[in-house]
Amino acid sequence: MTTRGFNIDSLVDELEPVKPVRAAPPLLTAVALSIIGILAISMMRDLRLDLLAGEPTAMFLMRAGMLALLGGATAFSVLSMAQPAVGKHHNSWQIAIAFAALFPLGGIIAIMTGDKTLAIASMESVYRCLGFSAITAFATSIPMVMALRRGAPTNPERAGWLTGVAAGGMGAFAYSFYCPFDSLAYTGVWFTLAVSICAVAGRLIVPKLIRW
Amino acid sequence: MKSGEESLRSLMVLAQQGDKRAYATLLDEAGRWLSRFYAQKIAPDAVDDLVQDTLMSVHRKLASYDPKRPFLPWLAAIARYRWVDRLRQTYKHEASALDFDVEEEGHEDVVGAKISIDRLLSQLPENQAEVIRLTKIEGHSVAEACERTGQSESLVKVNVHRGLKKLSALIESE
Repeated sequence: MTTRGFNIDSLVDELEPVKPVRAAPPLLTAVALSIIGILAISMMRDLRLDLLAGEPTAMFLMRAGMLALLGGATAFSVLSMAQPAVGKHHNSWQIAIAFAALFPLGGIIAIMTGDKTLAIASMESVYRCLGFSAITAFATSIPMVMALRRGAPTNPERAGWLTGVAAGGMGAFAYSFYCPFDSLAYTGVWFTLAVSICAVAGRLIVPKLIRW
Repeated sequence: MKSGEESLRSLMVLAQQGDKRAYATLLDEAGRWLSRFYAQKIAPDAVDDLVQDTLMSVHRKLASYDPKRPFLPWLAAIARYRWVDRLRQTYKHEASALDFDVEEEGHEDVVGAKISIDRLLSQLPENQAEVIRLTKIEGHSVAEACERTGQSESLVKVNVHRGLKKLSALIESE
């Protein structure tokens, strides 16, 4: 059979049953990897004292909740991009990022009003925050990138950015179970930097892997 | 026969399950639909190549179709992506070779204006859309585009570049 001179028989011969890309399996895999990250850090180092005492602080709950929202909502957008359609919206990431932006904003205000945590925190703790977040982020990005490769994202650059943000959010979420600092300045600067580094890495690396 | 959304969707669902007969019919119908979709949006002698490229993409990306959603918006997203990709490739075409009498009758009735390429182009600022039409669709040179639009050569190039970048970001927008 031909379509305007194009023989489609070879395509038909190659047809194999395919399972449509679904958001749930890669999303759940990414969440599971994030939880494995929490378990890994709990084995290497103790979790936060307030968590061990069963009395999490308000700051921990807000930070972890925000990072979970950022990672989950953005990952959902990423996975939605694997199934394109004109008129389809993948906008849950915008709300999540808008809320998450309150932390760096609050951090700047805290520093300007005299929060000294940044001066007290050692560079070792900063490297640990960035390093552990990035490693967990790398792991959680794998199922997302695999889903994008099976799918057909029409905007690989944006998919790259958002994969980085989603994975960075999940990585930082896992690290937040260890991070002993409750200050808004520390969270606003270093957690934001960790997610931002992951976003830039996603923009630089992911589009090359998913272009079609 | 014009392909209805429902029948195409049913064929696609069967194709994802491995039904070769349904797939052959689907590709044939999709090929006709794409020929109409691309008419007047690229040089006529490039339409067949672009339809083939798009059908190859459809074949490679079968798994990206969500069977719970309509088929044509998915096909249009694949088609727009391939079209923008083709525009990005540097090519020049003799304007005289263009034949804009290509049959397009009924296309909008079938797919709705919302997923058309015209709709996509209409979302660009006019100065960007105009130079893309002239240089990338109608095949005029940059110098000719300068003459027709009154824009400088560097501005034409900047507007083409920015316009194509924006088109890439707008592929799924209505």
